[in-house]
Amino acid sequence: MSPRYGMVVDLNRCVGCQTCTAACKHANDTLPGVQWRQVLDVEMGRYPDVERLFLVVGCQHCAEPPCVPVCPSGATYQREDGLVAMDYDLCLGCGYCAVACPYQARSIVHDGAWYFDAPTLQERAVAHPERLGVAQKCTFCVEKIDEARSARLDPGCDPAVTPACAASCIAQAIRFGDFNDTDSAVAKLVAAVPSFQMHAELGTDPQIRYLYEHPAVPGRAITADDDTAPCAADGSSVLGGTPQRWWDTRAAANFTLGGAGAGLAVMAYLSHLVGAVPSPTLPGLFVSSAALTAAGLLAVFLEIGRKARFAYVVRRPQTSWMTREVYAVALFYALVLGVVVVPSPLAHAGAALAALAFLYCQARLLHAAKGIPAWRVPLMPWMLLASGMLEGVGLLALTAGLLLPSAALTAPIAVAGIVLAGVNAALWHRYRRGAAGNGVGRPARAVIDDVTPWLHGVGHLLPTALLGAALPLESPRALYVFAGAAAIVGGGLWKFAVITRACHQQGFALPKGPRRGSGRYAAPQRRGAGDTVR
Amino acid sequence: MGHKIQVPVYCYQCVAGPDLLKVEVEDGVATRVVANFDIRAEHPGGGRVCVKAYGLIQKTYNPNRIAQPMRRTNPRKGRAHDPGFVPISWDEALDAIAGKLREALAQGPRDAEGYPRIAASFGGGGTPTQYMGTFPALLSALGTVDLGFGAGQGVKCYHSEHLYGELWHRAFIVAPDTERTDYILSFGHNGEASAGVAGVWRHADARARGLKRVQIEPHLSVTGAVAAEWIPIKPKSDAAFLYALIHRLLHERDWRAVCDVPFLGEMTGAPYLVAPNGYYLRDPASRKPLIWDSDAAVPRPFDAEIGSPQLEGSVIASGVEIGADGEMWEHTRAECRPAFQCLIEHVAGNTPEWAAAECDVPAERIRAVADEFLAHARIGDTVSIDGHTLPLRPVVILLGKTVNNGWGGYQCCWARTVLLCLVGALEVAGGVVGTNVKLNRPAHDRAASAVPGPDGFMAYPFNDTSREAWQRQPGIRNAYRTLVPLVANSPWSPALGPAHLPWLFLRSPPEHWPAPTRPEIWFTYRTNPAISSWNTREVAEQMALFPFVVAFAYTRDETNHMADILLPEATDLESLQLMQIGSTKFIEQLWRHEGWAIRQPVAEPVVDCMDMTDIATEIARRTGLLEAYNAAINGGAAGVKLVTDDFDYGLDTHTAHSCEAIWDAVARAASHDLSAGAEVRDLEWFREHGYMVRPFAEINWFLYPHLKRRGMRFELPYQEGILRHGTQLARRLHEIGVAWWDRQLEEYEPLPRYRRLPDIWLNFLRDRGVDPDAYPLWALTARSMQYSWGANVGIPLINELAQSITGHRGVVINRRTARQLGIGDGDRVVIESVAGETRGHAVLREGIRPDTVLMIGQFDHWATPVAKDLGVPSLNSVQSLALELTDATGSTSDIARVRIRRDAARQRGSP
Repeated sequence: MSPRYGMVVDLNRCVGCQTCTAACKHANDTLPGVQWRQVLDVEMGRYPDVERLFLVVGCQHCAEPPCVPVCPSGATYQREDGLVAMDYDLCLGCGYCAVACPYQARSIVHDGAWYFDAPTLQERAVAHPERLGVAQKCTFCVEKIDEARSARLDPGCDPAVTPACAASCIAQAIRFGDFNDTDSAVAKLVAAVPSFQMHAELGTDPQIRYLYEHPAVPGRAITADDDTAPCAADGSSVLGGTPQRWWDTRAAANFTLGGAGAGLAVMAYLSHLVGAVPSPTLPGLFVSSAALTAAGLLAVFLEIGRKARFAYVVRRPQTSWMTREVYAVALFYALVLGVVVVPSPLAHAGAALAALAFLYCQARLLHAAKGIPAWRVPLMPWMLLASGMLEGVGLLALTAGLLLPSAALTAPIAVAGIVLAGVNAALWHRYRRGAAGNGVGRPARAVIDDVTPWLHGVGHLLPTALLGAALPLESPRALYVFAGAAAIVGGGLWKFAVITRACHQQGFALPKGPRRGSGRYAAPQRRGAGDTVR
Repeated sequence: MGHKIQVPVYCYQCVAGPDLLKVEVEDGVATRVVANFDIRAEHPGGGRVCVKAYGLIQKTYNPNRIAQPMRRTNPRKGRAHDPGFVPISWDEALDAIAGKLREALAQGPRDAEGYPRIAASFGGGGTPTQYMGTFPALLSALGTVDLGFGAGQGVKCYHSEHLYGELWHRAFIVAPDTERTDYILSFGHNGEASAGVAGVWRHADARARGLKRVQIEPHLSVTGAVAAEWIPIKPKSDAAFLYALIHRLLHERDWRAVCDVPFLGEMTGAPYLVAPNGYYLRDPASRKPLIWDSDAAVPRPFDAEIGSPQLEGSVIASGVEIGADGEMWEHTRAECRPAFQCLIEHVAGNTPEWAAAECDVPAERIRAVADEFLAHARIGDTVSIDGHTLPLRPVVILLGKTVNNGWGGYQCCWARTVLLCLVGALEVAGGVVGTNVKLNRPAHDRAASAVPGPDGFMAYPFNDTSREAWQRQPGIRNAYRTLVPLVANSPWSPALGPAHLPWLFLRSPPEHWPAPTRPEIWFTYRTNPAISSWNTREVAEQMALFPFVVAFAYTRDETNHMADILLPEATDLESLQLMQIGSTKFIEQLWRHEGWAIRQPVAEPVVDCMDMTDIATEIARRTGLLEAYNAAINGGAAGVKLVTDDFDYGLDTHTAHSCEAIWDAVARAASHDLSAGAEVRDLEWFREHGYMVRPFAEINWFLYPHLKRRGMRFELPYQEGILRHGTQLARRLHEIGVAWWDRQLEEYEPLPRYRRLPDIWLNFLRDRGVDPDAYPLWALTARSMQYSWGANVGIPLINELAQSITGHRGVVINRRTARQLGIGDGDRVVIESVAGETRGHAVLREGIRPDTVLMIGQFDHWATPVAKDLGVPSLNSVQSLALELTDATGSTSDIARVRIRRDAARQRGSP
């Protein structure tokens, strides 16, 4: 059986000394602020009932790692021994793995950073230029494990081939070993003592198991609202996820421009089928659609860390929606070219289908980012699809208002717009209402709440009202222009809000913990053998 | 990949070390630190190293280092004045220093007031000694040096534990027998931050085994975090809790059934008869204290065969009583009480209900803790260690820094040790042991330092308070031998005396006392009193008036800002030294081995520094002290005698030897001594192997077998010696008109009375016309594992790591209190006391009492690069330097009354 390497972290042993973090920084030469191994100082309860504990976090080397399938280049991969590894030379620094990780394990550093104003001799000696602009994370000190194999040593037992954090831990709170080896210390510990996996409900099967009971300290169930409310209320909780910073307005622009562009192609073709858009107009609309998606992709290109490696994005079509998005858009561009050169109903249909495929890829792409609760909700693909369609209708309406000769021809578009606005409004309503239940945290929900009236007003009600008002009119050009613009603005509004503001990472959570602390958290009284109180 | 090697060194940045590590060096550049796992089987912490050691490489390559010797050009000194340091050569620097020394020595070692002309201050807990090479030999050659200018000792250490611990069980520091103990009551003892690798390792294993710890402290420390229970107690009221525990055992439980009565009767002074004037009743002929043998109903000398030593009640007995200054009373059929009876009566009023009001902990919790303590004591059980049968009493009480120093330290240390005696848990398996001696001698052998005194206890080297031998003229400015009998007179004593008094007296000269003077030459090494003292502002102002200051300097800092000469320090990984490791040392360094380890240069130096040994040799040579200097090295100033009856590795005393030659001789002598001549190793061997050890018997961790063998008892619960010396000291001081130490003299009680300790700080305010309610909060501090003793605040890696532990970025405030004050998390705040103010960010937490705020570590830097930009507040800046806050041992507690407000001028995000 091949090994399955992992760690056991004992919450009752850890004292938060940061030695593991320091040892990791030395062993892996990480830059200032980059901590592959982190230890959090967690406080729960309300005075005088308080518990404090130290929580070791980092890459969990999940058996089902959400970071691996999303990676478009194959830079992130899983080894046979379970380790989730990185090939820095393949990584383009798109940050998809980072937003897909529910354990906040990944960093991307774009420029060299130094502890002082200039690099020291040591920093120069241990510099890793290959890590700039690419994703990085804990490797479980993979080179030591490989060394163990060749030297026939036992990782977890021999400190020289044990990950630095475990080897250095002064409390033996971090143990490393092979869970598949029943004789290993880690296997024995998890067999003997209750443990939990963090975010097990996400299906990642993380390979760090946390122990929470000791003879003098029984375990207890932790309820988030009860235990972490005071510090969560003022934002000082270290358990709550901070907003991701890898995908910024450039990524949001891609989802907006790409979604609207693809929606335009799809809706133009559908409108054409019902006679609302004449054939000669279609190529121009397809070209506009291609231009918009290209602008979106250009925006996201500007965001990646290693631009010269952009082509590596095509390497993982089997799992990555980012790769698939690129394939879909390439196909779309080829078919649009075909439409322009040799217009035909088949070419029209092909281009529209490719645009739909692109839109679908985008929809699945965001949903696959498992590290961001507001993104990974089941409704997200539907929301992106419906929004793209509505934005497409918006673009059509805008175009119709500005360019098309007859209002009669645009009536189906108006009807489609009204229907899609309704669908989008319903989806958003469900999204918002189900956010808490889907694990979206309070700060992200606040952003969603903030944007809701604007979205409903500008993105849903206004297009509905304007398009509705336009229906009986003979020449409602202005209404179409404003309705179209409102639909597009609405789409951009929520995408920018969700991608750049309601983008809090999955926080850390403990379903169980030690029963220790003050007041109601205190461990129970314990009497020694033979004691009686007289 | 370039040429890569690993160089073994030790790290002794903090007293909880040393840790042994290897530095990875690649093409001549030190790149990484790894633990020295070669020693993992012998080291009590699995061979691993503390987080601070990982900062050493950045320390080496820090661009802010002092890169060459410097001379001050601006004669005006003070925080506001730029020193105008300019580079000079080593020759110029050393000549300037030697010239000043020669000048001073030519006038005689002492100035007109009788104080040493030369002074030197070193940093935390003796750790600099393991970095200063042969500088101690230079100090020895200089002869009279004032080592008593404090840098925070007394307030930053376990002061009362040091002094009383050494008196009662040769315990400069106490430690749990962690491997066997089952229950620890910790009054603010922050071992997870301060007990180093060995402490953390041993306690983590013990918790996994079943150890239960109850942490009693005003804020939830990292140690409290991993305890089974945290009991938030009102600051400085720990003595009340401890007294109530004694009360519970003696008055509410049947002590005859639950206490270790044989231990009390045979191993302590509990049965000693106390005569009417408060001194022991003694045998008229032998002058030995008497015990009432209830079997025979007669008093017998303590060392006679005694059937049943009586512990309670009173007896009618005859004998003599010897008081202060030899005063003697002859008693015929006088009513006398066993010391234990005195104890019972002493705590009669200290009920849990009384304590509940004092310390804000419900009486039932106190009772429960007492009962749980008893339940785990396993009285009667034994265990075999190294073939010796030892009582097993797996219960421990530990005291934190602010608990056992300053006012209340005596009460707490006494009550703790009495409680241990009540269940027989002192110096036995599972209980509390001492780890080392610094005041008694020999320093390397705790048991050998425990020799029988005339009264059946361990003899203790009190500073003489008799009319004939009291040192009326203070030998150094802190007057430790004059004012503090308990601090003895070992090489450590000057630093353990009232080390803040020189600063205080320079500001406010006391009456009837030699006028305080400034040293003509002051050396500082690995210390920063302008940051680490109480009332740092005042201390900085005083040192600015010193005429000639030589600072061994790593970077610029707040103390060397006042220096005249800066000597660039050859840092931890750049200099050569051997140190003793193993046996039993500070905190939890309890080894089953002992030996020696090396620290050596690992890479090419990056600044123009000189090894301390070479500096010491050069100064000795240029000052004309070479012979005395070399003789001191031969005599053991480098850690081991080079010449003994068994071997001679002595240095020629007329030659200036290289650093390598000196440490080569030390290596040979040390290895010869360790192996009885079987394995003599030279310096090169140590450079390659890193360390050398031999087995050390575990039974040596415990003093109990030694006391049993030598027929000695623990001097508890009654403190006749303290009473005698206090009475005599009072007379001596009054004879010369000194009344300013009267408050301290009240502490010399045979059974320390409980005082309402928090009132001392409130009254301190009232005496200054300040309403205590104007400063409604207690400000405390706590050790930081990442920083403690490390002088590493200027190392950004350490700052990054420390940020993960709450409190390192500001002042910790209870969330509800903060809201009442309109303070939000992260707000800039001002913390003010009557002594000064300090500023930082607010850190809102639930794990702190609403009446308490916490400032971790020691910060508020204004000159140290990197640190001066941290913007972290410091308790030291708001501490008052005052006689009223000084206890009889010469220490104070790390606590202040403060108020706190939003810093209107600077808000969130601003540095």
